[in-house]
Amino acid sequence: MEILFNLLGVAGLYLCIEYCLRHHNSQSLDDASLIPFADDPEVARRVELATGKKVKAVAPEEARPGWGNIDI
Amino acid sequence: MPDRVAWQDFATVEELTMSTATIEPAYNYKVVRQFVVATVVWGVIGMAMGVWIASQLVWPEMNLDLPWTTFGRLRPLHTSLVIFGFAGSAQFAASYYAVQRTCQVRLYSDTLAAFTFWGWQSVIVIMLISLPLGYTTTKEYAEIEFSGAVWMTVVWVAYAIVFFTTVVQRKTKHIYVGNWFFGAFILVIAMLHVVNHLSIPVDWFKSYPVYSGATDAMVQWWYGHNAVGFFLTTGFLGMMYYFVPKQVGRPVYSYRLSIVHFWALITLYIWAGPHHLHYTALPDWAQSLGMAMSLILLAPSWGGMINGMMTLSGAWHKLRTDPILRFLVLSLAFYGMSTFEGPMMAIKTVNALSHYTDWTIGHVHAGALGWVAMITFGSLYHMIPKVFGREQMYSTPLINLHFWLATIGTVLYIASMWVNGITQGLMWRAINDDGTLTYSFVEALQASHPGFVVRFVGGVFFLSGMLLMAYNTWRTVRVADLGLAEREAQIA
Repeated sequence: MEILFNLLGVAGLYLCIEYCLRHHNSQSLDDASLIPFADDPEVARRVELATGKKVKAVAPEEARPGWGNIDI
Repeated sequence: MPDRVAWQDFATVEELTMSTATIEPAYNYKVVRQFVVATVVWGVIGMAMGVWIASQLVWPEMNLDLPWTTFGRLRPLHTSLVIFGFAGSAQFAASYYAVQRTCQVRLYSDTLAAFTFWGWQSVIVIMLISLPLGYTTTKEYAEIEFSGAVWMTVVWVAYAIVFFTTVVQRKTKHIYVGNWFFGAFILVIAMLHVVNHLSIPVDWFKSYPVYSGATDAMVQWWYGHNAVGFFLTTGFLGMMYYFVPKQVGRPVYSYRLSIVHFWALITLYIWAGPHHLHYTALPDWAQSLGMAMSLILLAPSWGGMINGMMTLSGAWHKLRTDPILRFLVLSLAFYGMSTFEGPMMAIKTVNALSHYTDWTIGHVHAGALGWVAMITFGSLYHMIPKVFGREQMYSTPLINLHFWLATIGTVLYIASMWVNGITQGLMWRAINDDGTLTYSFVEALQASHPGFVVRFVGGVFFLSGMLLMAYNTWRTVRVADLGLAEREAQIA
C-alpha cells in the first residue's frame, strides 16, 4: 500500500511537469526565459549581444483607465 | 549634473511619477516604493530587536527587569518583525515589481494595492504592540492573537486578488516562472495561516486552538516548517528567478529545470513539518515520513540553487565589480548550505544531538541571514534606483561595505551556534557509569557563554550593515532625479 502511494506521488509530480511543458519546445522555453528583459528594449539589446538570442522587447503599453484601474 | 531635489520636494517626485494629467505610467511603482521603504525600516527595527535579545543572553540584566522587555516577549517580537515586517514587505515589493514587469501590465487596482500596504503595516504594528504586552497564542511564528490573525487574513486575500488579477490581465502569453513561485507562496501561506489559526476566541485578545495535544503540535509544525518553506523560501525563489537574471543580464540557466524545481519543491515541502517533532508523542510513522520527505527535499533545493548559480555562466567576471550581484550569488550559496544542513538535521539520529540546542538557531539564521536577508538586499539594491528614478544607488562602496559586514556577521553567527549546539548536545547526553548525568544544565549554559558573546558580535556586524543600507537608501531617495523619474515612469 505504501509503495503504491509513493508511486502515485512520483507519477503525480511527473504528470504535473509534463502538463506544464506540453506545448513547449526548446524555442518557446528560450522565449519564456527572456521574459524578464522583454519590457526594456535597452537591456534586451545588451542581453542579445551577450547571448546571441533574440529578445522580443517592447516598451509596455500605457494603462488605460477602466475597470480595475479606477482610483477611488 | 542631474536636477537635485530636497527631501521636502519628494512629494513632487511622487506626483510626477504617478501623474495622470498627461500620460498614465505603465506600472504602479508607488506601492513598490512604499514596501521598499517599509522593508528597510522593519529590517532595522527587527534586527535591532534580535541584537538586543542576543545581548540579554550575554548580560541578563539587559532585560531591564521589566516584563515587557524580557527575552520571552521580545524573542517572538523579533521573529515576527523580521519575518512579516522585513521579509514580508520585501516579498510584497518584489512580487508587485516583478509581476508588473513580466506581465507587462499595470498592477490591478491602485486602491487595493494601497490597501495591502497600509493593511500589512497595521498588522506589523499590532504585533509590535501586542507581543511585548504578553498577548500571544504561544505558537511559534503564529503568535499574533485571533483578532490580529483575522485582520491579517483580510489583507492577505486582498494581496491575492491584486497579484492574481494582474497575472490574469497580462499582455504576455506565458506566465514567467518567478510568478509561479510568488503565486504558490501566496496560496499556501493563506492555507497554512487559516488552518493553524483555527481557534475559539474568548475575548478580543485571547483564543484557544481547536486542536489539542499531539494534533495541535502537528498542525503547528506543519505551519511552522512551511512558514520557512513558503514564506521564507518559495517567495524568495520567485525573487531569485527575476532579479538574478536581471542583474546578471543573462536568462536563467535552464527554464525547464525551473519548472521541475517548482513542482518538486511545492510537492515535497508540505510534508517535512514532522521533523520538528522527533522523539515526541507524535506517531513514529509521522516522524519517519517527515524525515524521509526532508531528505528528498535536498534534490529540488539544490536544483534551484544550481539553476541560479549557473545563470552566471559566462558572466562570473561581473562579481569582481558588482556588489549587488555578490549579494545575490552569496545568498544562493547560503541557500545551498542551509538546504543541505536542514535535511541532515532532520535525520532522527542527528536530531537526537541537535534538537533543542543552539545548532537549530544557527541553522535557521544560516537561512534567514544568509539566504533571505542577502537576496533581499541584492534585490532591493537593484530595485531602489529604478523605482526612485536614479541611475544607481547613492554609494556603491557602501553596498560593498554592507556586503562584507553582512557576510562576516552571518559567519560569526552560524559558526558560534554550531559550536554551542554541539557542545550543548554532547554535554546533555553525557552520563556517568552509574547512569547519572555528567553535567548539570547550568554547566552547559556556562559553556555556551563564549558562543553567546560571538553571536552578539555577529549580530552587531549584520545590524551595522543594515544601518548602512538604510543610510544609502535615504541618500538615494533624497536626491531623486526628476528627469530620470519621469522617464522611468513612462517606459518602465
